[in-house]
Amino acid sequence: MSTAPWSLHVLSEVLAAFTVQSPTALRDVVSRVAEAVDAEITAIVRHQGTFELCVGLEDQDKPLLAAAVAERLPVLSLAGELLHLFWSPLDGGDVMVVGRFREDYTLEERALLRAMGRSIQLSTQVLAALKAEQEALRAEKEAKHLAIREATIDALTGLPNRRCLLAHLGAGLADRSGGRDQLGLLFIDLDRFKHINDVYGHSTGDAYLQAVGLALGHFRDSDTFVGRLAGDEFIVIVANTDQGILTDLAERILKCLNQPWVIGGRVLHYSASIGVALAEPDDRPQDLLDKADLAMYSIKQQGPGRYACFEPYMLDQARRKADLETEIRSALRHDEVISFFQPIISAAHGGVVGFEGLARWLHPGRGLLAPIDFIEVAEEAGLLRDLDARILRDACFSLTGWQSVQQGFSPRLSINLSAASLQDPALIERVADTLAASGFEARNLLLEVTETSLVKDVERAQHNIVNLKKLGVKLAVDDFGTGYSSLRYLRQFPVGMLKIDRSFVSGLGQNHDDDIIVETIIRMAASLGIQVVAEGVETADQRTILCRLGCDFLQGYLLGHPLDSPMSERLFARSEQRMLQLGRDTF
Amino acid sequence: MTITESATDTVSSAADRWIVVGSSTNPEAELAVREALAPIVDRVDPKLTIIFCSPAYNLAEISRLVQATVGAGEVIGCSTAGELLRNHPMNGGLLIWALGGDGFAVTTGVGLGDPATGLRDAANTAAQCLRRLERKEHTLLFLLADGLCGDQMEVVRGAYDVSGAGVPLMGGCAGDDMALQATQQIHSGELLTHAVVAAAITSNAPMAIGIAHGWEPLSEAMLVTGSRGTTLESLDDRPALDVYLDTYDAPPEVRNDPAAFFDFAHTRPVGIARRNRTEIRYVYGADYERRTLTIFAEVPQGAMAYLMHGNSASVLNATAEVCALAEEALGGQPARGFMLLECVARKSLLSNAGLLEESLKLPTVAPNTTVGGFYTYGEIARTEGSGGLHNQTVVALALA
Repeated sequence: MSTAPWSLHVLSEVLAAFTVQSPTALRDVVSRVAEAVDAEITAIVRHQGTFELCVGLEDQDKPLLAAAVAERLPVLSLAGELLHLFWSPLDGGDVMVVGRFREDYTLEERALLRAMGRSIQLSTQVLAALKAEQEALRAEKEAKHLAIREATIDALTGLPNRRCLLAHLGAGLADRSGGRDQLGLLFIDLDRFKHINDVYGHSTGDAYLQAVGLALGHFRDSDTFVGRLAGDEFIVIVANTDQGILTDLAERILKCLNQPWVIGGRVLHYSASIGVALAEPDDRPQDLLDKADLAMYSIKQQGPGRYACFEPYMLDQARRKADLETEIRSALRHDEVISFFQPIISAAHGGVVGFEGLARWLHPGRGLLAPIDFIEVAEEAGLLRDLDARILRDACFSLTGWQSVQQGFSPRLSINLSAASLQDPALIERVADTLAASGFEARNLLLEVTETSLVKDVERAQHNIVNLKKLGVKLAVDDFGTGYSSLRYLRQFPVGMLKIDRSFVSGLGQNHDDDIIVETIIRMAASLGIQVVAEGVETADQRTILCRLGCDFLQGYLLGHPLDSPMSERLFARSEQRMLQLGRDTF
Repeated sequence: MTITESATDTVSSAADRWIVVGSSTNPEAELAVREALAPIVDRVDPKLTIIFCSPAYNLAEISRLVQATVGAGEVIGCSTAGELLRNHPMNGGLLIWALGGDGFAVTTGVGLGDPATGLRDAANTAAQCLRRLERKEHTLLFLLADGLCGDQMEVVRGAYDVSGAGVPLMGGCAGDDMALQATQQIHSGELLTHAVVAAAITSNAPMAIGIAHGWEPLSEAMLVTGSRGTTLESLDDRPALDVYLDTYDAPPEVRNDPAAFFDFAHTRPVGIARRNRTEIRYVYGADYERRTLTIFAEVPQGAMAYLMHGNSASVLNATAEVCALAEEALGGQPARGFMLLECVARKSLLSNAGLLEESLKLPTVAPNTTVGGFYTYGEIARTEGSGGLHNQTVVALALA
């Protein structure tokens, strides 16, 4: 047998081995170099002493090798044996090191290892370019991944966001049309979430949302998809389901979410409301969302921490409300909302001393509508401020247009002011403008607020109350006795009038408790120098009792229904005539 | 009537170390496990139990039964192409090789690969068990790999990335009784394929590896001018198949019949010239259109290669020789046990010559020394350099 030169086959092997096609192949190349010269160790050591790659050396021995390379030592004692080193310079002070135990390298091997070094140098240059290219590709991929994540994942909770939810819902509905079982949706809304933000701050609110997201995430499975729609709204999409599965899931979720939460060391007692809807054959994603939303909204109105399943009447109801809202907006724009006036009379002499301005809607199709027919929708639509402003302006202009008023006989005017208006920063300017434009005297204007709206968010209302007083406008507390009935705010605010709620007045002479309550209110008001109006006076007995108890003024159907402006003007004129004969009382 | 046999080869133990081998050919898995484990169940502190099992058994059941009996001890294993005891080659049997006692400590690992990417990463993952091992004075990494999943050399490379030069590698590639369809690996009662399982073994006494094959070069040295993975394309710029057929003066049927070629190549391997040894590569197929050879493990392009030959006489003594080589490397301490991993091709050669039992007499091994192992599709033994994958070779692990 003849033998070919050792150098020939090694060189050939090395050159073949360095057909590097990817950075990940470098380790293969280095492995093959070691195998080619039957060495135990091959490494590429950077000029800083760090290892780019190393085959055959354990981590704890690398510093020894790095030091040996730095000093260009030909041998290194390792594990009790001599390791013969050959190093081949690469670019920038880097070296390729080959280590073989016990046996030094022949001259041929040394020459060949230098050739390997040059091959590696070329390879690493190619690899560097490939690496840079791969890095750029990786960065692009990561950026793309991040963009997709940001576009589909809610940053706060890590759950799928609205876009992702809608896409999933759309896909689910499309799949279902292919014959699969039903698709259902749970619309979860956290009860009083705004309260958490207001009371504990937004960071606590965010932590609460994260905790809820985490808890809801545990309900995920192959058929259940959970995401955050917006704000405090979460969605659970359930495939292959039925009504029973959905309601069972809703109950389990409520059991979880209605527990006390410990957020930032505080125990928060909050709950959630859930609307449940099962997709109909033609439902689009938004249809199903709307149904579940309606069911949620419906149950939330009945109280927190419960769930309801969608019923078709909810949709009809919602559509009617939406239509009504549109009509109210139109009515406000087209002056279809006008003032009616209910007289307030003196308990002492029976003369008209003032009016309460009340909203009426001259509906083009349905005739005259009372507030009960539209006030709730107006409130939900955020239209109460516009409505209040409309009635204030209309009533002030109406009264100043009356002939008797022009002759100097001014009745007092009470106008209802909603909580929204009381907290409206533009209220003072609006009232002042109305008074100035209409010429109605501020001292004759009483703005009626409920106890609840007065006490609720006192700080935000305080500014307006103080400035109303500066304008000369007084407050009347409407429905007194049904709310907080706090004496403190009667002293704190410029309250000029208390209106005893009709529920107490109706019981007078029949319910001893009501007699006592009404008497107590009248005495308390008298001691504070506040006048009292009894609302809802409908019988002569009630009038007699109220007069006996010392009530200042009376209002109710017994004394006069709400009338339009011309009729009210006539009523007032007649009363003024009579008062001229009897002598005027003050209101 | 089913003829079964069971054996407890021998039990070797020092005060703090023991090595035990048990076996069975009972076709009932439960009985086979009971018989093979009989010498082990009463041993104190089993550290590693290795299952070498014919694919004729339900390996999932075997591994579950063994793991259940052994309890917390580490269990690995694989399917075989035959099992071997001293004087006692087996077919279709179950052999269990175990060690234990305070003198040993063992950790095991497993890695999964696939035919497309091979087993380098799998071997690397499996070998990570070495990092969890609290090492004593002597340590080695034992590997069992899928023998039919890509280039077998990748197993050595992947493991060597973790072990480094300081830890010898020893092991074998699983077989499937020469069906060449699929092999199986066992780790902690779980049955796997396309996997590498590893046991990092550390001992307070020496462990050493011997390598022998008995093949001799027939051809001149040739340059491997074309090679890609397990396909040997050309030698000295000539189609590898043509060189192969011409060198061996192959009969006509071998030149166009794959089955005839397979039988022919069984005893005609390729040798790769290394610094002071020749590593053997098993030729197991030919592509008559492309004129290439299919090899169990890579024959590196640029390497010097020989076409090898041997006969029963030349390979007969390798088994005995390898045990002597391994025991010599124990530094004068006697071997208490041997693990023998022998290529299935050698088994065929010796079996055809009626010398298989003769080859296992092991005259240099003391009578009370435990011996057990299996017939493999590739042998792993790295003691120097960074190669260490062999075919048609016998490797022995001797434990003092």
